[in-house]
Amino acid sequence: MRKWQLARKISYIILIVYAIVSLTPFIWALLVSIAPMNYLLNGKSTGVNIMQWPPEINIFKLPPEVFGAPSTLSNYDQVFTVTPYARWILNTVIYAGFVTIGNLFFDAMAGYAFAKLKFPGKDIIFTILLGTLMVPFPVTIIPVYNLLVNFNLVNTYAGLIFPKIASVTGLFLMRQFYMSVPDELDEAAKVDGAGIFRRFWQIDSPVALPAFATLAIYTFMGMWNDFFWPLIVTSNKNMFTLAMGLNYFRTSYYTFWQLMMAASLLMTIPMIVIFLSFQRYFVETDISSAVKG
Amino acid sequence: MKRAKEWIAGYLLILPIIAIIGTFIIYPIVASVYYSFTNYNPLRQMEYKNTFNLQDQLEQYLLVFNMKDLNTRYLLSQFDPVDFIQTQLGIKIDTSQKSTIEKYFDSKKLIDDFVTMKTNERINGTELFSRYMTKDKNMFAGYIPAWVGFQNFSHMINDNLFWTTLWNSVFFAIVVTPIQTFLALILAVAVNQKIKGIKFFKLSFYIPSVTSSAAISMLFMLLYSKPGLINRILGFIGIPPINWLSNTSTALPAVMAMNIWTTAGYFMIVFFAGLQNIPRDLIEASELDGAIGWTRFWKIIMPLMRPQISYVVTLGLIGTLQVFDQIYFLIQNQQNYTTAMYIYVNAFNYNQMGYASAIAVFFLAFIMILTLIQRRFVKEENYF
Repeated sequence: MRKWQLARKISYIILIVYAIVSLTPFIWALLVSIAPMNYLLNGKSTGVNIMQWPPEINIFKLPPEVFGAPSTLSNYDQVFTVTPYARWILNTVIYAGFVTIGNLFFDAMAGYAFAKLKFPGKDIIFTILLGTLMVPFPVTIIPVYNLLVNFNLVNTYAGLIFPKIASVTGLFLMRQFYMSVPDELDEAAKVDGAGIFRRFWQIDSPVALPAFATLAIYTFMGMWNDFFWPLIVTSNKNMFTLAMGLNYFRTSYYTFWQLMMAASLLMTIPMIVIFLSFQRYFVETDISSAVKG
Repeated sequence: MKRAKEWIAGYLLILPIIAIIGTFIIYPIVASVYYSFTNYNPLRQMEYKNTFNLQDQLEQYLLVFNMKDLNTRYLLSQFDPVDFIQTQLGIKIDTSQKSTIEKYFDSKKLIDDFVTMKTNERINGTELFSRYMTKDKNMFAGYIPAWVGFQNFSHMINDNLFWTTLWNSVFFAIVVTPIQTFLALILAVAVNQKIKGIKFFKLSFYIPSVTSSAAISMLFMLLYSKPGLINRILGFIGIPPINWLSNTSTALPAVMAMNIWTTAGYFMIVFFAGLQNIPRDLIEASELDGAIGWTRFWKIIMPLMRPQISYVVTLGLIGTLQVFDQIYFLIQNQQNYTTAMYIYVNAFNYNQMGYASAIAVFFLAFIMILTLIQRRFVKEENYF
């Protein structure tokens, strides 16, 4: 029993150390984001040294001090004035939102078909679809880009959204869930005369609601954070998404650390809120289903 | 009858995803293979796609400042279609196209339209040719890259930088995947010890993986800079400051450490879910047998977690072999590029899409072979 205690003590040490490692970059970013760009000292303008250690925090002053200077929220304000940040938020919401909606429909439809219906070639089609998961995206990106150019979809919402509105990962997740819905439910509905589409939409899908929630959360977060695809599709500042926009604070001459950290944290906060509100969907649902296979 | 209905319904339901995957993954693979045998240059393609105002271009070319009292015959004598297309419109043409243009380009019609202001609209190169060529209009329907055979592949084999990037990708995967898997497992076991504050630990481990890799790269750019926090901490144990990201020998390991930091928390949750499924009595029984600490970890927990471990390793390998965002933001030296990044710069910065496609095709074949080997040796649970 004493050894058991020891294991817990070691566990605490590991967890606390790793929690510090995990959170420090964010805490540091927060400190930098509230540090003033410049402040007046004895009437003369002085830059803040955001690299200094210790960061000279004094929370007993008003406003609290960081890096030996009064903290400020003006950087968060500045982000909105020096860049079209509001527009980027809108773009990101449109991109992530429509892709999520598309995936909810198309992945569920296909997932249902592969789980519950019988049609010729089903297995081979499914195998091919799953095989595409192995294809690294740089392999496909050149022809895809040329498709976008030929259809004049570069720098458009359609170009951003359309190629992403269905995904094999989502299909796989939905199929797992429909497979876990007992066949008896389907059979009973069939006896009652419900057609295939009614069974899909009114009988089986309501049971699979947690799966829809999981799919929606994962897709939305994935698209919100996505960088590569907006990098390919957008070149116009007004079409950037938030992840794409971060590059904007870094020029070859100077990096606006305070603004960059403020912008980085701003785009992270909604994700943390989503995680906190929908925690249960993150843990149990997708993973256990994926592993059981 | 019923069966036919079910077939049709099945096909209808899978139609959208088939269309999307077909267009954006399967067709591009085929197209990449084709491009890899050509000298595809996206700038050349743009020459046919760029729009211009034909009237303005002709005014500039013919040096016309006043549209009144124009002499058609004089203008026609000044107009050379090949020269106009090459120098004024910037469309490159080869010798066979040149002779076709000389033969079939209807300069008279163009000049007539110009004088009567019919050319005052925005068009692109393809449209210009389809309007004013009397024959062979399709010759200019679009840019057709030249077939170069295996030239791209032989270039690739002799390209030292390519082999360096491939090694970087492999190195990245074989170092990061085991470490992140092991770290995640340790963290999961630790969280599973009836610990107080589980919620706090889970949240703090998970935050890095819900953060955009773009934002994370920005955070670490700050931490890794020469006067940054990491050098300060290392300073306490007497290590002199290093410019982590611009030093070719430390840049990739620095990004690898960041990658582990990002993913370990997410995989921890996978393992934690797996640990929760292990029946309590099994652990307690093993305790009675005296299996505790490391013995229990290796002999009891590890075997039971095999499905999760191979799931995490597979996901880890897929993720690390394709790593791009973090490289794009943090790596400054070509010597530290991964293959994904090298494909990107060749295609989009150097405009060598043919060569980039050859690398992409090779990379796909490489990954497929790795996957087959893995399937062969690790006859494990199939997730797919």
